Amino acid sequence: MEAIWLYQFRLIVIGDSTVGKSCLIRRFTEGRFAQVSDPTVGVDFFSRLVEIEPGKRIKLQIWDTAGQERFRSITRAYYRNSVGGLLLFDITNRRSFQNVHEWLEETKVHVQPYQIVFVLVGHKCDLDTQRQVTRHEAEKLAAAYGMKYIETSARDAINVEKAFTDLTRDIYELVKRGDITIQEGWEGVKSGFVPNVVHSSEEVVKSERRCLC
Amino acid sequence: MSEKDDIETPVITEASSTLGDGNCEPAKNSESVDQSAKPESKSEPVAITRKRPESKPSSDLETSEILPVEETVSKDVPQTGWGYWGSWGKSLLSSASATVATVGQGISNVIEKAETSLGIPSPSEISTEVQYATGETNAKENANSSPLTGPFGVFSTISTAVQTTGKSVISGGLDALEFIGKKTMDVIAEGDPGFKRTKGLMNRNSTLSQVLREAKEKEELWTSNEVTLETDKKTHYGLLFDEFQGLSHLEALEMLSQESEIKVKSILNSLSGEELETLKLELEQLKEAFSLAEFCEEEEEEKKGDEDFTKEITELFSQLQVSSKPEKLARARNTAYEWISTSLAKPLEEKEEGEKQLETEKTEKINKNSVEDIHAFAIRSLAELTACSIELFHKTAALVLHGQKQEVTAIERSRTLSQMTVVLCKELSSLSKEFTTCLTTAGVKEKADILNPLITAVFLEASNSASYIQDAFQLLLPVLEISLIENKTELPEA
Repeated sequence: MEAIWLYQFRLIVIGDSTVGKSCLIRRFTEGRFAQVSDPTVGVDFFSRLVEIEPGKRIKLQIWDTAGQERFRSITRAYYRNSVGGLLLFDITNRRSFQNVHEWLEETKVHVQPYQIVFVLVGHKCDLDTQRQVTRHEAEKLAAAYGMKYIETSARDAINVEKAFTDLTRDIYELVKRGDITIQEGWEGVKSGFVPNVVHSSEEVVKSERRCLC
Repeated sequence: MSEKDDIETPVITEASSTLGDGNCEPAKNSESVDQSAKPESKSEPVAITRKRPESKPSSDLETSEILPVEETVSKDVPQTGWGYWGSWGKSLLSSASATVATVGQGISNVIEKAETSLGIPSPSEISTEVQYATGETNAKENANSSPLTGPFGVFSTISTAVQTTGKSVISGGLDALEFIGKKTMDVIAEGDPGFKRTKGLMNRNSTLSQVLREAKEKEELWTSNEVTLETDKKTHYGLLFDEFQGLSHLEALEMLSQESEIKVKSILNSLSGEELETLKLELEQLKEAFSLAEFCEEEEEEKKGDEDFTKEITELFSQLQVSSKPEKLARARNTAYEWISTSLAKPLEEKEEGEKQLETEKTEKINKNSVEDIHAFAIRSLAELTACSIELFHKTAALVLHGQKQEVTAIERSRTLSQMTVVLCKELSSLSKEFTTCLTTAGVKEKADILNPLITAVFLEASNSASYIQDAFQLLLPVLEISLIENKTELPEA
């Protein structure tokens, strides 16, 4: 029964090296905190189902990108096929916050002609004593770019679920309203497989070749 | 990060239970992870044996021509994308498939046919047939010549292998594997009207991952129409392969491969005269390394212990000098072997007292594993190992392109990768043999019509797995070409 989902969303996770992208994703997909982690090479992949409403599941395909500069040309290629993204910075690392602009500019260039729904994530919020970025300024920055802001901790499992599910729900709303549509040759949103009985008028967005009957 | 969990399935946790809370997740997530990763012991229906979406690479005549390894074989290489086993299998089956060519209405028919006529040819039979059958050319397959495609001139390598090391390889059971797999494939190919559609694999407009994705989607479609979905899923290679992120890694590898290919082409276009000739020559050498599947250690196949694969693959990896490590792959492989050994432990002891005793079902451990369980675990393991292998190739590509500069040359790396491909495929072959041994042992009391499809399925998926790995390996060629070119241009400056 787990395999039935309404849509598949491809999300991309970006941000400076060592802000904790892989740890956040692994907390979300594997439910545990990895103490030591090698730097990501190129890109890694994870997936998980999220239930946004009773009986309505979305499969998240999460692309974990390398933060290291040398892989930038690889990771750039992946923006285009993502519908949503988590842009991470480390609240104990001012530099990673300052780079948020750059990340956004870069995605803007490479995501054309599509769009990515981003959420700004202040990570490592368990380390509040070492905080270098206030919640207020982060919220201000997020608002300036029309993003939501959330603070998370993979170690203490704070807001990890919420970060992903809120983003998923926002995207789902856009899909439902028709602001985001499934397109041939674009991997951002794909329709899933629903038993015939669940088909309803609101799922008209589904591409025709998937028609089950 | 090195715990074993990262080889496990990305989990489906009950998101609904945590939806409401804003601030922390229940700790039970980690428990559900472990549970879901364990193979369950209830029996389940057997999935339809899936044919591999056929790769239809063009034959690269140039390459096969520069490899005059054996004169007995025609230059018109029947390229099937099955790599060295594949071409071999194809040729030895070309006579056999004629006898069943009339079937092909449905997959199940085909499988039955393939089974009932399953006889393992002797080594000498095979090599004569190889020589005989390679005279055939498939004109259609020579139609296009994308440099990205399939194994280049691999056939030469195979027949060499057959001729020189034939005995040990064949006695190892590769023939059986390929025999069933390929025969099934051939028959399906002839009877399946949809087959033509998948033929364009690895052409410009259709990549391996696309075809696999399509196959997976078909499986999903199929399973979503079934009521007993969660049990079915366990034996669907395509779904499992995706679950282990094999498709994603393949897609990522394809992206890197295509990018590199474009770069190589534009560099070649910008060169002329002697410079161009020199580079072309070097690129040819590199290509050659990609077609060299060396069966150098075939002797040790039988004595191969548990440690050896890990050691070998780790060693090969260190030769590559990329910072990625094959631990995940080794772990997946060892898990499979541990499972097999616990599964086999009891019956082997009993065998001495006579096989009949197996029927008494007094050994609890083994009897928990029904043939369906073994089959499901086998398919799962094959999918996992293949996904891990492709992940390794993907990471290797990323590091070759963007890693720190290393002393090792592109050609050396290519040879190592080629060897690694052989090791991986051999491993899949011996693993599938182990699994079928398990199946035969556990299924002595089963009827042939229950047991045989399971055995066929394991062999077929192992054969498919090997093909995926070989196709992925070929995707590395443009990556190493660009690396060769870059090293060349950087060296004088440095």
